[in-house]
Amino acid sequence: MRSSWKKWRLPVIMLGPFLILVVIFYFIPVILTAILAFTGMDSSMRWEFIELNNFRKLLADPNIGLILKNTVTYVLFTLVINVFFGFILALLTTYFIRWERTSLFFRTIWMLPRITPPVVYALLWIWFFDPSEYGLLNSIRSLFGLPPVSYLTTQPMLIIILANGLIGASFGMIIFSSAIKSIPRDLFYAADVDGAGHLSVIKDIIFPHIRWPFMFVTIWQLLSLLTSYEYILLITDGGPVNATEVLALYSYHKAFQNFEYGYGSAISLIIVIIAFFISLLLWKVFGMGKMIRPTRIE
Amino acid sequence: MRPFKKWFLIIASILLITIMSACGSDDGSDGGSNQSATGDSNTITIRVQSLSPETTRVENIALAAEKLNEELKAEGEDIQIQVETDMYDGSSDDYAKQFMLAHQAKKEPDIYTTGHENIGWLADGNYILPLNELKDSEAYKDTFPLIWDAVTYKGEIWGAPQDMESRPVYYNKNLLRELGWTDEEIESLPEKVVNGEFTLDDMTRVAEEAVNKGIVENGIIHRPVEGTDFHAHIFNFGGTVYDSEQNKIVFDKPAVEKTLQYFDEITEKGLTPKDITQMEWSNIHRTVVNGKTLFYYGGLWNVFNWADDPYHDELGKVDEEWVHENFGMMLIPASEKGGKPNTLSHPFVYTVSSNTEHFDYIVRLLEIVADPEIQANHDVKTAHLPVTQSAAEHPDIKNNMTLGKATYMLDYTTFVPNHKDFSAFSKAIFSAIQAVELDQKTVEEAMNDLETQLQNDLGDELIIKE
Repeated sequence: MRSSWKKWRLPVIMLGPFLILVVIFYFIPVILTAILAFTGMDSSMRWEFIELNNFRKLLADPNIGLILKNTVTYVLFTLVINVFFGFILALLTTYFIRWERTSLFFRTIWMLPRITPPVVYALLWIWFFDPSEYGLLNSIRSLFGLPPVSYLTTQPMLIIILANGLIGASFGMIIFSSAIKSIPRDLFYAADVDGAGHLSVIKDIIFPHIRWPFMFVTIWQLLSLLTSYEYILLITDGGPVNATEVLALYSYHKAFQNFEYGYGSAISLIIVIIAFFISLLLWKVFGMGKMIRPTRIE
Repeated sequence: MRPFKKWFLIIASILLITIMSACGSDDGSDGGSNQSATGDSNTITIRVQSLSPETTRVENIALAAEKLNEELKAEGEDIQIQVETDMYDGSSDDYAKQFMLAHQAKKEPDIYTTGHENIGWLADGNYILPLNELKDSEAYKDTFPLIWDAVTYKGEIWGAPQDMESRPVYYNKNLLRELGWTDEEIESLPEKVVNGEFTLDDMTRVAEEAVNKGIVENGIIHRPVEGTDFHAHIFNFGGTVYDSEQNKIVFDKPAVEKTLQYFDEITEKGLTPKDITQMEWSNIHRTVVNGKTLFYYGGLWNVFNWADDPYHDELGKVDEEWVHENFGMMLIPASEKGGKPNTLSHPFVYTVSSNTEHFDYIVRLLEIVADPEIQANHDVKTAHLPVTQSAAEHPDIKNNMTLGKATYMLDYTTFVPNHKDFSAFSKAIFSAIQAVELDQKTVEEAMNDLETQLQNDLGDELIIKE
């Protein structure tokens, strides 16, 4: 007993604080959400268990079809921008621009939206696309005698995808940049000597080396996008008429605008379940198990 | 491995117990709340909170406290009231949410100033205390009778009426002049509306004429976001939204359909931009102040907004005098010839937290705050109407250019109900109007979707009137 305490004392002390944080901030909220999903908690904040009523209500909700479609559109297209645009940026700033100072400058520019407070970033988009003649885009158009346009009404999803895609690309850019930089330079020299073109270098040297970061960024961003809604909330608030309402935002609206906490939690629980299955699926598809297997070289 | 499992289990259980006991330990205790504790045992601190930008709502409570302190001194009581004020900056939904959470943590203000329609959920959730004594109080004896309806829920009074307003239709005098109207015709328009001679259809017709002649870009502008204004139209088309006997929301299909048809008509005719609900509030104000719309469904307090922010392209901030020189105010014209026009009031009320320990002093404060002088302080500065007859007679209010012109509107006013689910109903109605305006749905489709949505959202709390 004593010896085993001695053996595990250090890991317990080291892991303790981390475990507490995980329990408080990850484990308990999920459990609470799961319990709340079966209650009819509203503005009175009372725990009234109503069995599966929230889920029945969700199935009968006239908006749910559109919201699911929006969620898929938003997550997939934003993900494509996040990952591929991030990859292109990383390529440009590490492979094509060889001067470290210049590439650092460009990377910093792309990091700017990320260090801008979300409200300010969103307001810039709103001001730019405001449909009245006072909007920035329409002010510019009026200089050329063009009538005002309202892209927030006609193309709201496109604006949301662009706003989220551009801000998210910087995450992929950073990860991919460091991955590309860690590729031994000799390989590039060898490719140069062999007369390989840029496309061949990217396809045969860079891509195989950043395969794991690529998968990590894809999974990470996919899960983040599934649960994120802050820029949608700030730019269109899910509108007009639910055109940009996604599942996570719907949960927020129901819980914190209509004060249907129980119903909002039920929607969140669905998101948790979807995220769980997507994680499992991608784990299998990408063969992530292989990546975290202990190395065979001792 | 086994000893590790055992230790892991023990530590995990201790952690869970600690966390759970920490979560539950707040009940019953003071919780470091808002009560007194200023170091001086004879000082009672009362916290009052309101929503930006009208700071006078909380300042008035501080003024009332000064008077109460004098009274307490005269009565020989060794107690002084100190008022801590807090202004919340944010949407009304967030304002409600923060109160809900603060109340759970016992850190809420003693006096929570809010729109009357929140009384339903505040009362149902035991957040606030009834204030029935106010109705018999000397200070509120000449309250406009209609206002008591706005603070009554399930037969009890839940708030002290703080102010009133009306939501007039602003019309641009210069544009009417360009249209060939004489000064006399322009000045007598509010009266014609009162008499039911100038109807909603007439308003649409005049707006159409102005737009078609190229005098102005927009005929009619309304608020860009959800709000109570839209329900005034349901009332105007002879509908209702609430059954007080059963305490249920009413989906009055014929009236809601007419409301949707109206908004469809004004956007189809090009009088209102189809994407108006995508505009920012500040751009709505700019459109109105710069004479780019003939009519505007506004609020009395807009006079205060336009003086507060520089919306005019050349003049910047515009004062009350300028507003009345360039704009007239009228009720929402009746939907039928000879019918009764209307407007809608959204009184703010002081509610008292159920956790407060100073109920008696707060009631005294709420009585003093109804003093005409104190009411006038808020009403004149923020362009709101008083709640008592004696305050309406106060020279500052009577002689005020804006308030003097709008007090008669209280005879035509309507209110939204205090039901806890009204907010969900209101959002669904707004969403239907938006869909029709944006041509995303026909009126018929919007009505069908609205019915399904309301049935799903409100369930048993809804009555459908065919």
